[in-house]
Amino acid sequence: MRPRSAILAVILTLSLWGVLLAQKPFKEYPGEDRIPLPKDWNVPHEWVTARLMWRSYGGRMAFGFGGWGTDYPGGDRNLIEGVRRLTSIDVRSVEQPTELDGSDDIYNWPFLYAVEVGRWQLDEEEGKQLREYLDRGGFLMVDDFHGRYQWQVFEEGIRMAFPNEDIEDLPQTDPIFHMLSDVDLKIQIAGEAALAYGRTYEQADDPYPRWRGIRDKKGRIVVAICHNMDLGDAWEHSNEPWYPEEMATTAHRILVNYASYDLTH
Amino acid sequence: MFEFLFKYSRTVFNQGNFVFLNSWPVWMLWAGIAAAAAGLGFLIWRKGGAATPVRSVLVWLLQAALAALLLFMIWRPALSVSTLKPQQNIVAVLVDDSSSMATKDEGDAARKDRATKVLTDGLLQKLKDKFQVRVYRMSDHLARIEGLDQLNAQSPVTHIGPSLKQVVADAASLPIGAMVVLSDGADNTGGVDLETIAEIRRQRIPVHTIGFGREQMQRDIEISNVELPQRTLPESRLSALVTFHQHGFTGQKAKITIRDNNKVLAAQDVTLKAEGAEQLETVLFNAGPAGVRMIQAFIDPLPNEENLRNNIVTRMVNVDKRKPRILYLEGEPRWEFKFARRAVEDDQSIDLVTILRTAPNKLYRQGVKSADELKNGFPTTVEELFAFDGLMFGSVDAAYLTPQQLQNVKDFVDRRGGGLAFLGGKDALADGGWQATPVAEVMPTTLPDKKGTFQWTPANVRLTPQGSESLITRLEDDPKKNDKRFEDLPYIRNVQDVGTPKLGALVLAEAVPMNGGGKALPLLITMNYGRGRSAIFATSGSWRWQMLQDKSDMSHEMFYRQFLRWMVTDTPAHVTGSTPRSLMADESVAQLRATVKDKTFMPAADAVVEARIIGEGVTETVAMTPDQGEPGTFTLDWTAPKQGDYLVEVIAKRGDQELGRDAFTFRREDGTAENFHIEQNRALLEKLSSETKGNYYKPADAQQLGEDITYSEGGISVRETRDLWDMPILFLAFLMIRAVEWLLRRKWGTI
Repeated sequence: MRPRSAILAVILTLSLWGVLLAQKPFKEYPGEDRIPLPKDWNVPHEWVTARLMWRSYGGRMAFGFGGWGTDYPGGDRNLIEGVRRLTSIDVRSVEQPTELDGSDDIYNWPFLYAVEVGRWQLDEEEGKQLREYLDRGGFLMVDDFHGRYQWQVFEEGIRMAFPNEDIEDLPQTDPIFHMLSDVDLKIQIAGEAALAYGRTYEQADDPYPRWRGIRDKKGRIVVAICHNMDLGDAWEHSNEPWYPEEMATTAHRILVNYASYDLTH
Repeated sequence: MFEFLFKYSRTVFNQGNFVFLNSWPVWMLWAGIAAAAAGLGFLIWRKGGAATPVRSVLVWLLQAALAALLLFMIWRPALSVSTLKPQQNIVAVLVDDSSSMATKDEGDAARKDRATKVLTDGLLQKLKDKFQVRVYRMSDHLARIEGLDQLNAQSPVTHIGPSLKQVVADAASLPIGAMVVLSDGADNTGGVDLETIAEIRRQRIPVHTIGFGREQMQRDIEISNVELPQRTLPESRLSALVTFHQHGFTGQKAKITIRDNNKVLAAQDVTLKAEGAEQLETVLFNAGPAGVRMIQAFIDPLPNEENLRNNIVTRMVNVDKRKPRILYLEGEPRWEFKFARRAVEDDQSIDLVTILRTAPNKLYRQGVKSADELKNGFPTTVEELFAFDGLMFGSVDAAYLTPQQLQNVKDFVDRRGGGLAFLGGKDALADGGWQATPVAEVMPTTLPDKKGTFQWTPANVRLTPQGSESLITRLEDDPKKNDKRFEDLPYIRNVQDVGTPKLGALVLAEAVPMNGGGKALPLLITMNYGRGRSAIFATSGSWRWQMLQDKSDMSHEMFYRQFLRWMVTDTPAHVTGSTPRSLMADESVAQLRATVKDKTFMPAADAVVEARIIGEGVTETVAMTPDQGEPGTFTLDWTAPKQGDYLVEVIAKRGDQELGRDAFTFRREDGTAENFHIEQNRALLEKLSSETKGNYYKPADAQQLGEDITYSEGGISVRETRDLWDMPILFLAFLMIRAVEWLLRRKWGTI
């Protein structure tokens, strides 16, 4: 591309972004997986899974293992395939990394997924924006954090958005687990590391699967919490024979149930 | 002057018949005139000389006219006129005693006092000198009075027609020779009916009228009409269309207030337009909770306004305690579905039932009454479908429904009278093949016959002039602010080409592609079809109005609530009761009507319908009569005995089976109309007198009535003949013709 054309493309992209109330264009960050972009990556679709680029000690760009970009983008692409295959949802083939940066971008993506939230940091402003996002109608699914210490870190962050609201253990009977498929909550969806040690948990101080949630004033679940589990790994490795089929299936079922719940409540 | 020139008053000419007293036949007169004209013409032609043809014709015309005049006088023209026999006839004097006669619009004296003065200044005595005089006070009924001090101008109603009718009825046994009506012409029954006028003419009683009051107010503002729906849903936004006119305040500001009893619901400042012109303003307000609302439109009094009683108009609105059900079928889980549901979940007057196709063979139902309701998906029977009041289709292809289901959807609008809406989507409208179904007929646009009409084109929303006025798209009361608010809404990410709007459809909003992305497309289109209505909202992107605005912003909620309410507010039930006027101003007969349909919404002409009426000490059950011209419609004219509120419940049965029931209210209110149109209705008074061979008088000329009233064919009268050949006008005409001919000849130099 000649320099003049490149400048023109940048200007056009920026102007469109500005007009679309700060909806940022798709951008792929370096992640754990090196997989090619799908051919239809730039075709608009109804539903997009957004990945929260939370801030950690290394800043927002601390992607990769242990950061916001854990299992990225392979996990996202596989979960997208799962949603496409199992539901009527019109899904974009690529995810959308987004952040609580005070801009309007995040409000364009009403389904938000965050991993490794046992390491995240949310300050007051970020917490306020997350609350505003959820109050307008957004939905947050958090995953891949383990043990008591990481729970404390997560809770510290989420309290920036929900200082007083209950975090409840969701019962097996809750409709969110039966939207498209019935899910057995006794199945603990293990991460790659735990499986390497022949376990289904990562931290011995709290080895049980915790399906939790925060509801809004009308009783709708707006934050779905998957603690002591790693659905991201399950999606990421669901095509690999060594990953347990039951866990992979449950992870996909959970996702389509959560997405369907979000789209109907 | 008239009497000087024509020898007799106008009344004599009005009352009399023209005759010739000469025994020679009239055709001889015409023959004589023709012969004289011909002879004069021949002589003038023979004489000829230097005169030009124009001069000759002029001379001939003048001389022929003179000859015709002489012949006319020789035939002795006359008037044959009836005159009342003195002391043998009764003259009925009817004085308007309604409250409008208390108006002081000409000096300090009220109209009633001015009428009394006209009578006591000599007219009454003149009448008494020749006739027996009976004085009546005229209001809601006619009553004879002994003295004028019995007038008080407090009656809330004037019924001129029935009053005249009563006097005419008396004329069957009494020698009534004439009637004199002193009134401002303000009548609450809409004037004098033709039957009454025909009866007066048959009795040959002239009605003389004397008009009081200014024919046009100098400083007044009057509400002419307020249009409001008679029924609505709780907490609905309503628009009151207030029509008014004014005199003397052009360019000034006035405030229109909408009140429910004394509670102010809305207020709006307006600038008053041209003198006397009808001005229409729309004021929006919330109907409030269920119940009967007495909505008053009120214009604050302006400085030195002459009549304040016409600044307020009351209308009755029944806010129904019902919750219409809308069935929303969505073909794919998507944000518009989620946020539309959220937008109306707090609306206590809308029951949104949804069927969502979550996977190709899976349905997810929300809002159903029981586990069994809609368990097989979209209704397959008419009864099941018609139980809903509204239908909405999202991104679902037409092939998902069977041909019978599609036909039922069309009938849902056409026959059932329901509301139907379509949202844009990748499988919606033309992309879903709806253009090739029976439903296309009821849609507000002619869909394109192609695929690919759904585009991911970012666009802003712009209201059309119709949209600025529509209740569906009113986010702000002020139309300009409303337009701006729509322009400022976050973008929609997609829009669908819906083709060409049909005749009668209203385009309320357009999608304007951003960054010059193409021409504006119709976005929100509505249309009435059959008994129902349909709409298209050609996007699935309005959810950003919720997500991209502060959580306290209610734009998205308001839009969807108003949109869905529009769909179902007028959807009828199986049995619908109504009356043309829920507030009867100075009327007593309520026209009650019931429309009865069976379960499939076919007219139930064989139903038995009764109306239970409760109110003002009355509890009655009355059978309603089938309207032969309109099967399934039943009517009843019921007289409300006194003013007040009445509740009507109509119950329709077929055998032992109840088809349905409906309740509504109406109010009889007396004395309201008297406050309006208080200018003198001279047209009515003039028409009344001219139709009956009487005269209209201004108060200043009323004493002349003492003479004119003698000429009448009513009562006991004799016929007299009055010569006309010696009218001064004829001699003057004679002299004029001669003078003109002389002057012309002098000018031409022929004398």
